[in-house]
Amino acid sequence: MRTLFEKYPKEKRYTLSILQDLQKQYGYIPKDKLIELSQYMGIPLSRLYSMATFYKALSLKPKGKYIIKVCDGTACHIRSSKTILDEIENTLGIKPGETTDDGKFSLETVNCLGSCAIAPVMVINNKYYGKLTSSMVREILKEYGGADDE
Amino acid sequence: MKIIIDNIECEAQKDETLLQIARRNDIHIPTLCHNDALPGLGSCRLCVVEIVDKGRRSVVASCIYPVRNEIEVYTCSDKIKNIRRNLLMLLRGRVPNDETIKKLCKEYLVPDRIKFSGDKDEHCILCGLCVKACQELGASAISTVNRGITKKVTTPYDEPSAQCIGCGSCAYVCPTDAIKIEEKDGIRNIWNKEFQLLRCTRCGKPFATKEQLEYNREKLGEAHVKLLCESCKKAIIAEKLKDIYEKV
Ligand code: SF4
Ligand code: FES
Repeated sequence: MRTLFEKYPKEKRYTLSILQDLQKQYGYIPKDKLIELSQYMGIPLSRLYSMATFYKALSLKPKGKYIIKVCDGTACHIRSSKTILDEIENTLGIKPGETTDDGKFSLETVNCLGSCAIAPVMVINNKYYGKLTSSMVREILKEYGGADDE
Repeated sequence: MKIIIDNIECEAQKDETLLQIARRNDIHIPTLCHNDALPGLGSCRLCVVEIVDKGRRSVVASCIYPVRNEIEVYTCSDKIKNIRRNLLMLLRGRVPNDETIKKLCKEYLVPDRIKFSGDKDEHCILCGLCVKACQELGASAISTVNRGITKKVTTPYDEPSAQCIGCGSCAYVCPTDAIKIEEKDGIRNIWNKEFQLLRCTRCGKPFATKEQLEYNREKLGEAHVKLLCESCKKAIIAEKLKDIYEKV
C-alpha cells in the first residue's frame, strides 16, 4: 500500500488527495493507514484526523456495499424526503450516517442532487431514483436484496 | 506613530496589534481566544473595537489588527457593546453554566432571557486556543474534530494519544477551564491518559511529567534539564543574583 502514498510528493497540499484515494480504495479510511500517512508526510495524526472528520466525502467507518443517498435539499424536503428516510429506516433499520450490520447498506443524506424536477430523489451507488413514494422505495430496496425477511 | 484609543493618546509601533497597545496603556479590552504567548487566532471576536481611519469607520478584532496608520480607536462604544452582547448571548447558549462567560454576560448586561441552551456540562467555546498551544508548546496531540454542531476538541479517535506528553499547556491556556486535568498521588490524568509526575529535586513538589522532560531534552536540545519546578528555578536565580550583589 506504500505505493498509494508514494505517488505523491511529501507535500502538505497533497494530503486531501491522498485521503480521497484511501477513501476510494477501502471505502473508508482505515486507522492504520491514517497513522502510516501521518508518518509518511510528517503531519501530526491529530491534523489528519481533523481533516478526515471534517469532510463529508471522507469516512472513518467502513461503508456499506450500497450507499444510499437521500436528498434532503429544499425541493426534496418539501416533497417529503422525510417519508423516504422513514421508509428506509423501517426497512433496513438504519438512520442517516449508519451502516447495516451485514455491511450491505449505508444511508446518507445530501443537500441537493441537482434533480429537483424529479423530487424526492435518492441515489444508490450513482443510480438515480426520482418521484419516489414509500412503496417504490420498498421495491427498490428489495432489488438490492434489502428487507427480504418480510 | 501616535494613535488615539478612547481619547487617550498612545505611542504605537507599526504593525503592533491594537490589543498590545491598549494593554500597555492600561485600557481594558475583553478577550477569550487570546494569549500573549500564542497570538494570532482571532476566533472569538470578543475583542472587537471600532476604528476610524481617515474618516472611515469599521469594526476590527483588536487582537489581530496591526496598526499601520494614525487611527482613532473606540473600545467601548454602544455599537461595540452591542456586538459583544450578541456574541456573549451565543456563547452562553453553548456553555450555559460556564463561570467565565456568565461573568462577562453580567459585565455586558446580557439580558437573562434564554433563547436556546446547550449541554449544561459543556464548557468549551471552540476558540481553538488549546489546539494552538499544543501545536506550539506540546506535541500536536489534539485538534478540532467534526464540524457544525458536532465539532469538538479531542485526541484522534477519542483515545489516549501516543503523542500527548501531558504538559497541560492546553488546559493552562483555556479561557473557560474546559479541559480536565487531574492530579492525584503523583499521577496526572489528562485526555484519558495517565502520566507519572516527577518531583522537583529542591522542594519535592510533583511538577512535570517524564514525557514532558524527555520531549524537552529531545526537541529543544536541553541536554541537562534539571528537575526543578518553576518556583524553585526562580528562587535559585534570585539566590544567585543575591550572591553577585553581595560580592559587588
Ligand atoms: S497536555 Fe497533551 S494535549 Fe495538552 S498541550 Fe500538552 S501535549 Fe498537547
Ligand atoms: S481575543 Fe481577539 S478574536 Fe478572540
